[in-house]
Amino acid sequence: MNTLLSDIKLVGDELPWLKEYRAAGRREFARQGIPTAKTEAWKYTKPNRFLSTDFVFDPRGNNKFTVPAVNLPFAAHKLYFENGVFLSCDDDLPSGVEILPLIEALMFRPGVKNKLGALADMTKYPFAALNAACLNEGAYIHIKAGTRLEKPLALISHVTVVDRAELYNLHHIVEIDENATAEVVEYYGYTGAPKSSYLVNIVNEITVAAGASLRHYKFQDEAFKAGHLALNTVKVAAGGLYKSFCLQKGADLARNETQVCLAEENAAAEVDAAYKMNGWATIDTTTDIEHLKSGTTSSQLIKGVVGGQAKGVFQGKIHIAPDAVKTEGYQLHKAMLLSDEAEIDVKPELEIFADDVKCSHGAACGRLDAEQLFYLRSRGIPKIEAEQMLINAYLNDVMAKVDNENIRSWIKLSLGSNLPA
Amino acid sequence: MEEKNNIAIADESGDKYKYGFVTDIEADTVSAGLNADVIRLISHKKGEPDWLLEWRLKAFEFWCGMKEPSWAKLKYDKIDYQSLSYYSAPKQKVAPKSLSEVDKTLLETYDKLGIPLKEQEVLAGVVAVDAVFDSVSVATTYRAKLAEKGVIFCSISEAVREHPDLVQKYLGSVVPYTDNFFACLNSAVFTDGSFVYIPRGVKCPMELSTYFRINAKNTGQFERTLIIADDDSYVSYLEGCTAPQRDENQLHAAIVEIVVLNNAEVKYSTVQNWYPGDKDGKGGVYNFVTKRAACRGENAKVSWTQVETGSAITWKYPSCVLQGDNSSGEFYSVAITNNRQQADTGTKMIHIGKNTTSKIISKGISAGFSNQTYRGLVKVTPGADNARNYTQCDSLLIGTTCGSHTVPYIENRNKTAQLEHEATTSKISDEQLFYCRQRGIGEEEAVSLIVNGFCKEVMQHLPMEFAIEAAKLINISLEGSVG
Repeated sequence: MNTLLSDIKLVGDELPWLKEYRAAGRREFARQGIPTAKTEAWKYTKPNRFLSTDFVFDPRGNNKFTVPAVNLPFAAHKLYFENGVFLSCDDDLPSGVEILPLIEALMFRPGVKNKLGALADMTKYPFAALNAACLNEGAYIHIKAGTRLEKPLALISHVTVVDRAELYNLHHIVEIDENATAEVVEYYGYTGAPKSSYLVNIVNEITVAAGASLRHYKFQDEAFKAGHLALNTVKVAAGGLYKSFCLQKGADLARNETQVCLAEENAAAEVDAAYKMNGWATIDTTTDIEHLKSGTTSSQLIKGVVGGQAKGVFQGKIHIAPDAVKTEGYQLHKAMLLSDEAEIDVKPELEIFADDVKCSHGAACGRLDAEQLFYLRSRGIPKIEAEQMLINAYLNDVMAKVDNENIRSWIKLSLGSNLPA
Repeated sequence: MEEKNNIAIADESGDKYKYGFVTDIEADTVSAGLNADVIRLISHKKGEPDWLLEWRLKAFEFWCGMKEPSWAKLKYDKIDYQSLSYYSAPKQKVAPKSLSEVDKTLLETYDKLGIPLKEQEVLAGVVAVDAVFDSVSVATTYRAKLAEKGVIFCSISEAVREHPDLVQKYLGSVVPYTDNFFACLNSAVFTDGSFVYIPRGVKCPMELSTYFRINAKNTGQFERTLIIADDDSYVSYLEGCTAPQRDENQLHAAIVEIVVLNNAEVKYSTVQNWYPGDKDGKGGVYNFVTKRAACRGENAKVSWTQVETGSAITWKYPSCVLQGDNSSGEFYSVAITNNRQQADTGTKMIHIGKNTTSKIISKGISAGFSNQTYRGLVKVTPGADNARNYTQCDSLLIGTTCGSHTVPYIENRNKTAQLEHEATTSKISDEQLFYCRQRGIGEEEAVSLIVNGFCKEVMQHLPMEFAIEAAKLINISLEGSVG
C-alpha cells in the first residue's frame, strides 16, 4: 500500500487547495495506517490483509475505456465508471438535474469545494484519507429544489479485471435540494478472471435538504478476490428523508459503512441491508445514526446469510444527543449460519443522552429450521432447492424495504441461487 | 512504616449515604507507594509461603509493562498508583482466637453497618459472615458449624496457611494475573478476601457472606475471593460493601474467582454500595473489579446477581466461562447511577462446551448527570454445539442530563447456536406516573414504585435479606432525582 503514498500527477493539481487536500489525505493515511484488529471500529473486519498486496493506483493507465456492457432491467439515467474512471453519462437528463465529473465540478462550480470532505472525516477514517489522497474521479450530482426525478440515477461501476492489483478510487458528492425527490442506484460488478485482486474504495457525501428525500440502493457484486470499502456519509435537514438499501454479495472483503446525521427536526433515516455469501469472504455492514434534534426517527433492518468459511459482521450505532427528545431509533439484525465454519460477529450500540426517547435494538442468530426443511422435502423438493427457498424467504422481508418495484425485482433476481449450504 | 490513623468524620452535608462514617481505630498502614519491596513487605506481614510471593512479584513485573485500559466509557482523573497505600490493617496485639477477642470498636462498626457478627444474635435466616476491614479479614463467623459439613470458609490468608494445596491449585486459574491491568495489580498486592471450598456432595447449610469495608484514608482495597464448588455441591454467596464518605477517591480493585465442577451450583449475589461521591461528583470509590466463574464440570451452573448502586466509577463484568457440557451461566443485574456516577458494567458469556446455555437480564437506571453503559460479550466457539443465549438489556432514563449506552458484542462461530438479544431504552412513561399520582401517590414514591417494578425480574433472584436491603437502596439512590 505504501507505494500509493508516493506522488502521482492528478487532474487539478495546479489548484493549490486541491493539491493540498490530496497531500492532507496522504499524511492522514500515513498517520492512521491500515486498521488492525486492535482498532475498535475494525475489530472484526481486518483489512490488514491488504498490507501484503501492493495495489497500483494509475487512473489513466493501460485500461481500455469502453462503456461496460451492463444491462440493468429497469429504466434509469445511467452513469458509467470503468476501472475507477468516469466514462459517460446519459445526456437526456431532465431539467433540475446536474451531473458533472467531480474534479470538473470542484474546479468550475463555486461552492462544491466546500462540500468536499465536509461529511467524510479523513482524520477518523483511514480509507477516507486514502480516498482523499487519490481523489481524481467521481461524480457531482445535484438535484435542484422541487425536482421530482421520475427515473432513478444509476451509477454503474464496473471493473474489467487486469493482470495487476489495482486500486479504484471514487468520490461522489450528491446534493438533493429542498423538496426534491430522487432515487440513486449504485451497482458494482466486474468481468474477467474472477481471481484477480483489486480494491474499490468509495466515499459518498450526500446532503438531503429540508423536505427532500433520497432513496439510495446499492448492489455490490465484486469479484471474489476483490476488496470493496465504501463510506456513505449523509446529512439530512428538517423533514428530509434518507432511505437506503444495500445488498452485498461479492468481494473477498467488503465493508459498507453508512453514517447518517439527522441534523434538524423531524429528519428521518431508514438504513436497511442484506448480505449473502460463502467462500472465505468477510462482509461488513456498519451503520452510525446520529440523532441531533428532536422528532428525528431512524430504523434499520439488516439480515444476512453466511455459508462456507465466510464471516458476516454487523456494527450498528444509534447516538441520541442531549436535546434530541421525542426521537425514535430502531435497529434489528438477524443472521443465519449455514455451515460449521461460518462466523457472525455483531456489535450493536446505543448511545443515549436524552430521556424522552424510544430506542431499541435486537440481534438474533440461528440456522435453517430443520422442521421447515423437512416440510419442503416431504413434498418432494430436493434439499438444495428447499434450502434455497428458505434462504430467499428469510431475506424476503428485508428485500421488501426496497420501495421501487423494478429495482426490487432486479435485486431479488440478483440474489440468485448460487449459495450451496 | 506505621502511622496512626485518626481522622475526623468527613463532612456530612447533604448526607444520604448512611455508611459514610469513619471508624477511629489505630491501624497498621504501610506508607504510600508501590514497588517490589512493598509487595515483599505485604507478603511478609501475612507470613506467606515463597511460591505466593514469587507469583506476586511476577504479577507486579507484568503489571509494570501494562497500560491502563481506556476503552470503557468512563472519565476520571488519572490514578496515581504511587500515592496509595497498599496495606492497612486494624492494629491488634494478638491474633483473635474467637469473636470475643476481636477489637470492640471493630465489632461496633459492623454493628452500625447492620452486619451480624455475633453468632448468637443471628435470626432464622442463618448467614455465615467473613468481614474484611480495609486490607484484612477481621472475623469469620459460624466456622465450627460449617466445618462439620466439611465446608471451608475463611479468609484467603488463612487458606494460604491451612489449605495451600487447594489455593495453589486454583488461585489465578480462572483470572490469571496476565488477564487485565486491574486484575494484574490485584494479583501483585491483594491483601485479603474470602476463601470457600464446598466438598463433594455438600449443600452448604447456610448462606455465606463477605462484607467489605474500606476505612483508612488513601488506601486501596484489593481483595481476592476464591470459591471452589466440588462435584454435586451447592453454595449461595453474598457480598456487600461500604466505605466512609471522603473527599478524595478511594481505589478498589478486587478479583472474584469461582470454580464450579460437575453438577455443582454457585449463586453469587452482590449488593455494591461503595460511597458514590457527593452530588457534585467529589470523592467516591473507583471500583475496578474482575469477576469470573469457570464452569469446568458437566452440568455446572453459576449465577451472578448484582445490585450496583454505589461507587463513583464502576468497571465490572462478571463473566461465565461455560467449559463443561450442559453447563449454564446466568447474569442478573440492576445498576443505578445518580448525580455524577459512572458505570460501565455487563457480563461475558463464553460458550465452549456442548449444550451450554446462558441468560442475561440487565436493568440500568440513570438519573442526574450520571452515565451508564452496558457492555457485554456473548461468544460461541466452534465446538459449542447447541449453545443458547438470551439477552435482555433495558435502560431507564430519568431526566435529560443523564446518559445510557448499550454495547453488546455477539460472536458466533457455530451454526447450531441460537442467540437472541434485545435492548430497549425509554423513560418512565407519563401514563404509569399519572396512574400512580391520581391514586394519591407522591411523585417520588411513584417513581420508586415504577423503578422497583422495572427491576423486579432481577430482584427476585436475590436472597430474601438482600432483596429487602436492595429495594431500600434503590429508593435512597434515586432520592432527589425527580421533580
